[in-house]
Amino acid sequence: MNDVVLTVIEGLLGIAALLATIRAVRGPRLVDRIVALDAVLLLIAGGLAAESARGGREYLLPIVVVVALVAFTGTVLVARFIEWRDT
Amino acid sequence: MIDILGQFLLLVGAILSALAAWGILDFPTPLARMHAATKPASLGLASMVLGAGLLTDSYGLTALGALVAVGLFLTTPISGHLLGRAAYLAGQAPELVHDDLAGTTPSPGLTQTRRSFAWWRVAVLTVSWLVLWQDFALGTAVAGLLVAVGVELAVAGWAGERSRISVLGSLLFAVRYVGLVVRSTARVAWEVVTPRNEKVREAIVRVPLRTRSESAAVLLANAITYTPGTLTIDLAEGCLFVHVLHFEDVETTIADVRRVEELVLAAIPGPIDA
Repeated sequence: MNDVVLTVIEGLLGIAALLATIRAVRGPRLVDRIVALDAVLLLIAGGLAAESARGGREYLLPIVVVVALVAFTGTVLVARFIEWRDT
Repeated sequence: MIDILGQFLLLVGAILSALAAWGILDFPTPLARMHAATKPASLGLASMVLGAGLLTDSYGLTALGALVAVGLFLTTPISGHLLGRAAYLAGQAPELVHDDLAGTTPSPGLTQTRRSFAWWRVAVLTVSWLVLWQDFALGTAVAGLLVAVGVELAVAGWAGERSRISVLGSLLFAVRYVGLVVRSTARVAWEVVTPRNEKVREAIVRVPLRTRSESAAVLLANAITYTPGTLTIDLAEGCLFVHVLHFEDVETTIADVRRVEELVLAAIPGPIDA
C-alpha cells in the first residue's frame, strides 16, 4: 500500500481524534463526553485498520474487532449507568 | 485493482471519520452531536475495515473485515439509541421544539414471541465463529456448530413461533438499508462542512407502529437511525419515539418513518395492527 496515502489517512484520523478529544474535555454534559470518547475509540480502531495495511502488519486487523466491541459495550454500559443514576 | 479499491475505501473512511469528529465538536446540542456520532462514524469505520480487509492477502482477514463492517451497522444504532434515551431521561437533552416522549412510561408494548429453532441463524453464527478464529479447519467448524446450536437453543428454544422472513424482501431491504446509510451520512457530512445554520429545530415525535412483531420493530428502529435527520430514542407502548434534527411537522416525520416501515414489513411479514 502506498505510504503517502497511508500517512494522509493516519493524519486525518489524528486530527479527528484531536477534535473529538476537545469535545470530550469541554463537555459540558456527561453524554457529550461519552459520545466524544466513543468516537475516539472508533478512530483508534480505524487507525489500527489503516496501519494493518502497511506491509506485514495484518495481525492488527483482529485487534480492530476487540476495540470496536469494547467501544460498543462500553457505550452501552455507560448509557445504562446514566439512566440508573439520573432517573 | 483490488488494491486501488482497498486504498479508496480506507481514504473515504478516514475522511468520513474526520467529518464525524468535526460534527461532534461543532454541533450545538448533545442529541445533534449523536447524529454525527452514529451515521458518518460507523460508515467511516466500516469502510476502513473493509478496505483494510481487501488489502490483506488472506481471504480469512477479508472476511473478518466484512464481518466487522456488518456488525458495526447493527451495533451503532443500538448504542446511539441507548445513549440518546439515557440523555433524554437524565434531562440532558434540552431545546426541543416538540416533545411527545414527556410523561410516557417505558414499556415495549409488543408481543414477545418465543422463536423456534432456525438453522440459518446457526449457520450465520458458525461462519462468524470460523472467521473470528481465523481457522477454517473441520474441528473448529464442529466446535463452532456446537456453540451455535447451544446459543440458538438458549435464545430461541426448539418449539415456538416460526419467524417468517421473505428472502426477496430482505435483499431489497438490505440494498435500501445501505442506500439509507449513504444518504444520511452524506447529509450529516454536508451539514458539518457548511457553516452552522440556525435551522436546527430538534423535536421528539411519537410514531405509532403498524407492526406488532418485535424483530420488525427492532429492525425498523435501527433503520430509522440511518434515515437522514432522524434518530431512534425509544420504543414504548407500540410506538417509536424518533428524534428529528430538522423538525417540520408531525405528519412529515410519521410519513418518513412509514416509508421505511413498508420496507421492513416486506422483509419480515408479521402481525400488523390495521
